[in-house]
Amino acid sequence: MSILKVENLTKRYPGVVALDNVNFEIGPGEIRGLIGENGAGKSTIIKSIAGAIPFDEGRLIIDGREYTSIAPTEAIQRGISVIYQEFNLIPSMTVAENIFLGERIGGRFRVDFREMNRRAEEIFSRFGVEIDPGAQVGSLSTAQMQLVEIAKAISKDVKVLFMDEPSASLSVSETEVMFEIVRALKKDGLAIVYVSHRLEELFELCDSVTVMRDGHTIETRKIEALDRPGLIRLMVGRELNETYPERSPASAEVVLELKNVYGNGDVGISLQLHKGEILGLGGLVGCGRTELAKMIYGAVPIDKGEMLLFGQPVHLTSPADAIEKGIGLIPEDRKTEGVFIDFPIDWNVVIQCLRKISGKGVVNISAMDEISKRYISEMNIATPSAHQLVKNLSGGNQQKVVVAKVLATQTKVIIFDEPTRGIDVGAKQEIYRLMNDLTKQGISILMISSDMEELLGMSDRIVVLNEGAVAGELTKAEFSQIAVMELASSH
Amino acid sequence: MENKKRFDIGKIISDNVAWFVLLILVIFFGIFSENFFSFRNIMNLLSQNAYLLIAATGITFVMMSSGMDLSVGYVMSTIGIIGAKLLMDAGMPTILVIVIMIALTILIELLNTFLSIKLNLSLLVVTIATMTIFQGATYIISESKTITNLPDSFKYLGQKYLFDSIPVAVIIMIVLFLIMNFVLNKTYFGRYVYALGGNPEAARLAGININKMRYMIAVIEGLFIGIAVVLLIGRLGSAVSTVGVGTEFSVMTGIFLGGVSIRGGEGKLSGVFAGILCIALLTNGMQLAGINIYYQYVVRGLILLAAIGYDVYQLNRRNNMKKKKLEETREAKRA
Repeated sequence: MSILKVENLTKRYPGVVALDNVNFEIGPGEIRGLIGENGAGKSTIIKSIAGAIPFDEGRLIIDGREYTSIAPTEAIQRGISVIYQEFNLIPSMTVAENIFLGERIGGRFRVDFREMNRRAEEIFSRFGVEIDPGAQVGSLSTAQMQLVEIAKAISKDVKVLFMDEPSASLSVSETEVMFEIVRALKKDGLAIVYVSHRLEELFELCDSVTVMRDGHTIETRKIEALDRPGLIRLMVGRELNETYPERSPASAEVVLELKNVYGNGDVGISLQLHKGEILGLGGLVGCGRTELAKMIYGAVPIDKGEMLLFGQPVHLTSPADAIEKGIGLIPEDRKTEGVFIDFPIDWNVVIQCLRKISGKGVVNISAMDEISKRYISEMNIATPSAHQLVKNLSGGNQQKVVVAKVLATQTKVIIFDEPTRGIDVGAKQEIYRLMNDLTKQGISILMISSDMEELLGMSDRIVVLNEGAVAGELTKAEFSQIAVMELASSH
Repeated sequence: MENKKRFDIGKIISDNVAWFVLLILVIFFGIFSENFFSFRNIMNLLSQNAYLLIAATGITFVMMSSGMDLSVGYVMSTIGIIGAKLLMDAGMPTILVIVIMIALTILIELLNTFLSIKLNLSLLVVTIATMTIFQGATYIISESKTITNLPDSFKYLGQKYLFDSIPVAVIIMIVLFLIMNFVLNKTYFGRYVYALGGNPEAARLAGININKMRYMIAVIEGLFIGIAVVLLIGRLGSAVSTVGVGTEFSVMTGIFLGGVSIRGGEGKLSGVFAGILCIALLTNGMQLAGINIYYQYVVRGLILLAAIGYDVYQLNRRNNMKKKKLEETREAKRA
């Protein structure tokens, strides 16, 4: 008997198929783990079922009723409830108000706050949790907010409860409290879909696990039939068929060093980047990689710890400071953060070095011409002229413009945040070759990548982050999908 | 995982900034102005500013849902001129004119919101455009003339006193304020206004019809601004093309000072009450002290900046605290 059945669900975004003919089934009183790498489609499937985003093809059968599209209110009425990774709470309202948001407790117009608080109290006491229903949500701790989210989800007549990484910001003891609640809900006959990258949790809590990969549901197995290495193999079991440029060994000279760095959510990060090296930063979404990049780039201050550039301690106060000292950033979101898309190539290439090429404040047009033409030919940017608008270029060529912009400022260290996201296969190779050439010229690269293949193929070494801390470091000889995933999903 | 309840003086002050500022202002004027505490003076002050508080009550709903309406001043002017024309040139009865004025204001606010929803633009941007339109409209309709000698029946609401002591406008203001305070705090609608401003996506996922809410908020805003104009030109006894100009900034300053967050979803109507009174007192005080009107603008601008700056400062502090907390949890787990 299934309470929720998903049949051939497909969801496309421009350029990507986020869900490809996904099938999924769960019955009452079952706790199902749902796991997969970054971008496997876990969050997308949840949002589709809850009506938060529309899906393109396929159907849902909820408690016997069939849907080819579903609105959020319908999903709620049919007993679908979701605790999203990002809290959906309203900080200025009370705990009870948040729990019963959208529900009418009281008369025709007037809210009965006493009754509301009483019912909230009732839910909390069922699980032995003590939270004041009248407290403002904004004043609660993260753990308490998580419990409010759970209370909010089960305050309705829930049949299927989705929990998307609910333990991400909880301590060990707080997680235990939450587990007790989940088990109690299971006894009440709820179907619970539990998304987590912490494999230990799945083994402790779940009856069965569904593995997703690249928008497909790969397999569903009973938890008894699985062990940790087996689960990791299912998650990463993709064939590696891309080819990567031959790398020559990096020099021993340390260019950038972090010593026990704290800040922006990261804790105690230490790492070294050598001259001409590509250091891969691996980890799952939310593990603190982009946050770290922002600190290295001076966009967010380092609270504690030391950053050394060529052996000298540096204290960056702004990205301008970082650029000045030879650090460049290729941002994750090329179109909004990397380039000025409605402007021409030459304009973009010199935007970071305008000061240097413009003697007394007036832009030196011939210098701009010369620099942009040089990079266009050196990097093989396919364009009829330097005056072409960047938005008319392909993704790969746009990315080259971003790199040219960074190089034009005499950069020594480049942070590539997802270097080939949204770039087609052929152009990827060109970007890889470009990165390889850069390192040959002695530039050091810190590469953040959620693309496992790219991470393993391009890096000379990999540092894996997990929950804001370094989980481990892999040398080229130790590289494997399983090794990376082991580190990324430990705890 | 327990809630700490403790007496936090810093929090009490930061939650009620406007009341403390008001207290300071009252003490200041009490000392330096002789008749400040006289019943007559206080009533005078309230009656002069009743329209401001009524407009603020409606606009609070907009700002609470994280919208910002810049067109208020010129909409008020236009409505005022139309009302005066209907009374003087068309000779319409007072009651009918009042109804038309309020209905028109509601229509205009609905139009602002309609454009904002359909063009997918923020209300702020839409009202920059409509503000300019109504700026033109008010001069065109008034032909840049002042319309004076409005009939006594129309001036009643703005000028008359009940029992020879309490201005009618003040009674209207207090009644409306109490009603809307109830609506905002005790009804579903009011709580959804907070929800909409605090986290529109959470509100949508909770099944709240966001567009319907925005139209309802527009109706409330129009209603209150309409009433405010009726009282304002009723008190003045005349209408000019600039009659409401600047109201939006006075009101916004008062609302921000009253603790409504610039991101919406936060604040109390009682705070707005105090915030608007602060602005009223300051304006009044500066006039009495004979401070040049242009200096008054400078002071008001500084207050607006300070109010918004304080709001943003608190937000940043909260975000930083959250990050620290996350780091602590992670650090503990790492150990």
